[in-house]
Amino acid sequence: MKLVESVQSCYLIKAKGGYFEESKIYVSSLIITHTLSWLFCLFRGLFSKKHIEPKGLSQNVPGWKLFGKVAARESPPKDSRTIQQEYEARAGKAGSGGTSPTQPQHGRRKNLDFEPLSTTALILEDRPSNLPAKPVEEAQRHRQEYDEMVAEAKKRELKEAQRKRKEMKERFKQEDSIANAMVVWNHDILPNWDNMRNTRRVRELWWQGLPPNVRGKVWSLAIGNELNITPELYDIFLSRAKERWRSFSETGSEADDGASLADRESSLDLIKLDISRTFPPLFIFQKGGPYHDLLHSVLGAYTCYRPDVGYVQGMSFIAAVLILNLDEADAFIAFANLLNKPCQLAFFRVDHDLMLKYFAAFEVFFEENLPRLFNHFQNSNLTPDLYLIDWIFTLYSKSLPLDVACRVWDVFCRDGEEFLFRTGLGILRLYEDVLLQMDFIHSAQFLTRLPEDIDSDRLFACIAAMPMLNGNKKWSQVSSSKHKKTGK
Amino acid sequence: MIMMWFCLCPLFQVLVIGDLGVGKTSIIKRYVHQTYSTNYRATIGVDFALKVLNWDSETVRLQLWDIAGQERFGNMTRVYYREAMGAFIVFDVTRPTTFEAITKWKEDLDSKLMLTNRESIATVLLANKCDQGREVLTNNGVKMDQFCKDNGFVGWFKTSAKENTNISEAANFLVKHIMATENDFLKSVVPDTISPKLNDSQPGTCSACYKS
Repeated sequence: MKLVESVQSCYLIKAKGGYFEESKIYVSSLIITHTLSWLFCLFRGLFSKKHIEPKGLSQNVPGWKLFGKVAARESPPKDSRTIQQEYEARAGKAGSGGTSPTQPQHGRRKNLDFEPLSTTALILEDRPSNLPAKPVEEAQRHRQEYDEMVAEAKKRELKEAQRKRKEMKERFKQEDSIANAMVVWNHDILPNWDNMRNTRRVRELWWQGLPPNVRGKVWSLAIGNELNITPELYDIFLSRAKERWRSFSETGSEADDGASLADRESSLDLIKLDISRTFPPLFIFQKGGPYHDLLHSVLGAYTCYRPDVGYVQGMSFIAAVLILNLDEADAFIAFANLLNKPCQLAFFRVDHDLMLKYFAAFEVFFEENLPRLFNHFQNSNLTPDLYLIDWIFTLYSKSLPLDVACRVWDVFCRDGEEFLFRTGLGILRLYEDVLLQMDFIHSAQFLTRLPEDIDSDRLFACIAAMPMLNGNKKWSQVSSSKHKKTGK
Repeated sequence: MIMMWFCLCPLFQVLVIGDLGVGKTSIIKRYVHQTYSTNYRATIGVDFALKVLNWDSETVRLQLWDIAGQERFGNMTRVYYREAMGAFIVFDVTRPTTFEAITKWKEDLDSKLMLTNRESIATVLLANKCDQGREVLTNNGVKMDQFCKDNGFVGWFKTSAKENTNISEAANFLVKHIMATENDFLKSVVPDTISPKLNDSQPGTCSACYKS
């Protein structure tokens, strides 16, 4: 009885674990079956071409039978290549989810055709001969239970397999479309940038998200270089920053004590503190990480380039996203130009009045597009600054998952500041139902810490559903009217 | 998902302020979620947390406002001081400049926020990162007590979010003081309506007195 239970639990683990667990359970069942057979397992592991005939094994062990899908009969035995492919598929899954570039495409695709393999397990058919036999009804009951389990698991696995197949198809489709888009961007669009950037076709393709390896290039082009910064100029500011670090580290933190508040404010200490708190889960900007010095350099050079702005929290996130997509000097050029846009300048200079005007313009479109939520927020005293500050300062790179944030950046580069506020409305639309149920503190918490599983397609569908129109006024008209109103 | 609460139990807005990187977020995470990590992201603007406490058999809610530490944000974040009833001002014992900034934070707070009885809100000073063994600043307890007295802090604690030292003690201490000022306030403004139950040792349980 105990044996049956252990076999059942073994079986259940298998059913839960699904396809990829198959070989492991298979091996473990062999261990249960026969102490000698684990030597076979070793052999199997070492010389995988020599696979074990499960049928033969089951005959060796009295009272036990391998049941279900008997591999030897119903499907060709696994050769080493299949095992290798399975291993790779599993390793790929366990890894970052990315596919290794060395892996041939067709190798992965073969896995699409897998069948459910739920039924390899063991059952105690009769008790060993040295024990009294099972009563008939017990044996029957066991068989029935076993049949039910097998049927149930088969059903479940089939469903799971279908789901996985669909998921993989979806992924391959996505990968294909990215690959196609990459070709189009590299061969058609980028060489004819000025002529094509505003065409409908390009704008539509742009909305779908930029392929990762043209992303930096497109961002650079779209952000432009109004400030005419050259890589040489970057080097000059970088060496200036390095000089300051040197004198800073020589005099130590003691120098801090006598320094004025303004000095403390621009102190490189702040940058140092913040760098390690930029995308901590990635472990690449932290001390000792590959991009730590790079981020330090870009931010340090910026404070020398723009002492009037200095370092402001939130900048580290923006610089980090650029560094992830561009070379050092290009990242700096894009960074400086990006921060020179009116909206970014208003925020990073912490021009409170100007910021309030942006918030007021946002509220106009908020009320227009999502009146119920707008009223709910008003009733609970949740003002837009409480969540917009975080979103706008970091261009969503802190509150959205990085891949989704990059897609927001894509269209932000295309549409400008308007898109930042439109994205905000899209997020509110996406979570409107949940937010309507929450009080002040829970909404505020929710919005400053958005769910990590946010789906970019769903978000972009919501953003698309937020036309930035107030009556017949566009964002730029509404926001400039706000700016004028208080300007008088 | 926590749905809308119509709880009328006392709700206190508590500010957590202090220089950049002194560990404000870590203290809150430790207090509310009982976790610690060296991997918190910099706070931009303000972050929020809610702590529900059982206080003398009633429920008290603390709304914690985790305010970004960079001075530059001062203009932007001081509007959040408005409805606070208590505050923690945090400094990092390993960085003297963060201690020097304490008076600036306190003055800032007092200039923006006064209770109706003209008292400043209950403020507790936290000497954080005391696990680092470099607490030259706080070794002299008498001096620290005097500093608190001079600067209008109701008390101070050596804390470590990393090792969970004194965090909930400091919070309880602050809540006690908030409750006391609440009661004083009630007494001074509407003395006739005080129920005999309301005395100094037992904080008020009259839930209708609090806005949720």
